[in-house]
Amino acid sequence: MKCPMETGESLERLLAYASRKLDAGDSAELERHLEICPACREFAAGQRAVWEALDDWEAAPVSSDFDRRLGERIAGQVSWWDLAMRPFRPLTAWRVVPVAAAACVAILAGVLLERPSGPALVRPATAQVETLQPDQVEHALDDLEMISQFDSSVRMDSGSPRI
Amino acid sequence: MLERVKSIMSGAAVALDYDAELMLRVKEGDGASFGVLLEKYRSSVVHFLYRMVQNQAVAEELAQEVFLRVYRSRTSYEPTAKFTTWLFRIATHLALNSIRDGKSERLQERLDGDSPDQPAKQVSDRRPSVEQSMVYQARLAEVRQAVAALPEKQRAAVLMHKYHEMEYSQIARALSCSESAVKSLLFRAYETLRARLAHMA
Repeated sequence: MKCPMETGESLERLLAYASRKLDAGDSAELERHLEICPACREFAAGQRAVWEALDDWEAAPVSSDFDRRLGERIAGQVSWWDLAMRPFRPLTAWRVVPVAAAACVAILAGVLLERPSGPALVRPATAQVETLQPDQVEHALDDLEMISQFDSSVRMDSGSPRI
Repeated sequence: MLERVKSIMSGAAVALDYDAELMLRVKEGDGASFGVLLEKYRSSVVHFLYRMVQNQAVAEELAQEVFLRVYRSRTSYEPTAKFTTWLFRIATHLALNSIRDGKSERLQERLDGDSPDQPAKQVSDRRPSVEQSMVYQARLAEVRQAVAALPEKQRAAVLMHKYHEMEYSQIARALSCSESAVKSLLFRAYETLRARLAHMA
């Protein structure tokens, strides 16, 4: 084989060998070369020493309240609309219900618009339609549902230290 | 959904990534899948960031931001790369910004002094002697200083390569550079580390 120190492309191979990531066949071939090449031998020994020194560096365990803090930050991302909907969450567990409710409001608004009355009656109805867009309701419920599921998994995991 | 992931990823010659599938579930509103991803990668991300900034509190704060960004990005997520590559790209970006902003400015002070963030390591099954413990701490301080002295990108490349076993192509994507640039970063970084740490053999 060509000397890895002389062909830059093979340095990758030497690095993999020192990191014990080279397969047995390639390792054997490289070891035969190391026996006759002092430069590669020195490189491999030095690299292996670095690898083992880095092995000593263990990271500290993650704080046990990491998930709780993250959950709080995610909950903090929820919009005013989500917060407003929160008290009604048990009632709106099914997506169909709020969407149907929004549709009812839209129909009601339509009926009111059709009525031959003054503009005073029309304006509030229009405002309600803008407030209760079905997409908005559905998005808010998606977020609440996700947070609920995430909270559940955090509660299940709480108490065990993170390693 | 599986078919969708396969079709998107096959073009990029990326193996089917179960994590990407989980992330697509998160995109569809499955909070439990987010919990699974968090459980799976919490430690990896915190440990990577800790070794980057060498401050446990800052590392955890940055890791929170990483997962928060993952959560926020769920609606626009597309599995164009392995999930871990995307995750470490966010983590690296935040770590580099944090270092440049000086949030880890006490790094060198910490390295010069005690290292309260560091877990006490058992040298053997038996309780280590004071002497063994001191030797270990001195060795560890040397390793930490050697890594901290590396330029930021070299440091990130070494940490991803050594501790997270990422391939050159993944590191390249995480660092937004070419694969050959990653090899160059790694060779230079390991050369520096060999000069500083080879005597530990």
